[in-house]
Amino acid sequence: MTPLSLMLTLSSVLFALGLLAVLTRRNAILVLVGIELMLNAANLNFIAFWAFDSPTAHNAVEPALSGPMFVMFSIAIAAAEAAVGLAIILMVFRHTRSTDLNKLDSLHG
Amino acid sequence: MIPLLILAPLILLAAIGAVWMARPVHAALMLALTLALVAVLYLALGAEFIGLVQFAVYVGAVAVLIVFSLLITRRGDEAEEIERRPKSLITGLLCTVPVLAVLAYSAIFGSNIKLIPWEAKLTIAELGETLFSSHAPAVLALAVLLTAVMIGAALFAREPGKTPEDPAEK
Repeated sequence: MTPLSLMLTLSSVLFALGLLAVLTRRNAILVLVGIELMLNAANLNFIAFWAFDSPTAHNAVEPALSGPMFVMFSIAIAAAEAAVGLAIILMVFRHTRSTDLNKLDSLHG
Repeated sequence: MIPLLILAPLILLAAIGAVWMARPVHAALMLALTLALVAVLYLALGAEFIGLVQFAVYVGAVAVLIVFSLLITRRGDEAEEIERRPKSLITGLLCTVPVLAVLAYSAIFGSNIKLIPWEAKLTIAELGETLFSSHAPAVLALAVLLTAVMIGAALFAREPGKTPEDPAEK
C-alpha cells in the first residue's frame, strides 16, 4: 500500500464516519460535528495529493501550491459555516428550548 | 510514511469516539482531539503552516465554539442529555457503508497514477506570495464572506426585541 492510498483510505473512513454522525445523531450540534469531520476528510485529500506527488514535475505553470491553497480557503469557509450553523441552532433553541432534531417538526405536513 | 502509520489509527479512534460517544460534550472533545491529530499529520507531512492554521482555527475556534454551544443549550437534566442510540442506526449504516465501499475502493485500487516523489515542503514566504498575487481576488472574496458571516451570526444570536442600551441616555 502506497502512502497516498493509505492517506486516501484514512480520509474515506473519516468521511464515512462524519456521514454516519450526520445521519444518526439527533442533537443538531452533533450533526455539525459530523459535518466538520467530513470537511476535514476532504482537506486530507488535498494535502495527500500535494505531499506525495511532485507538482512541479507535471509542467505546471503556477507554483506548486494548489493543494495547500485549497485547504487554506476550505478551513476559512468551514469556520464561517460553523459560526453561522451554531448561530442558527442557538436561535432555534431559543424558540423551542431544544436542539433535538426529532422535535423540530413544525413544518411537517 | 512512519508518522502516517502511527497517526492514522489514532485519528480513526478519535473520530469513532466523536461519532459514538453518548454524552455530547465528550463527543465534541473527541472531535477536538481528531482535529488536533490531523493538524499533527499536516505538520509531519511538511505542510507546517497549514497544520498551524488547522490547530488555531479548528481546535482553537471551531471545537471551542461547539463545546460552548453544547454548554449553552444544556438543560440541566443529566439523564436527558445523554443521547440514546437511535433506531436510525441501521438506516445510517445502510447509507454509509456503500459510500465507504466506493471511496475506499477508489482510494486503494484507483490511485495507480504515476507519482513523482518529492520532498514536500511548504515555505510560508512562497505561500504568502501566491496567496496575495494570483489568489488575491479569492482572498478579498473570503474577507467579504467572513465579514458577512460575522454580521449574520451576531444578528442571529441577538435577543429579539432587545436593543443595547444607549449609554448617552443615562
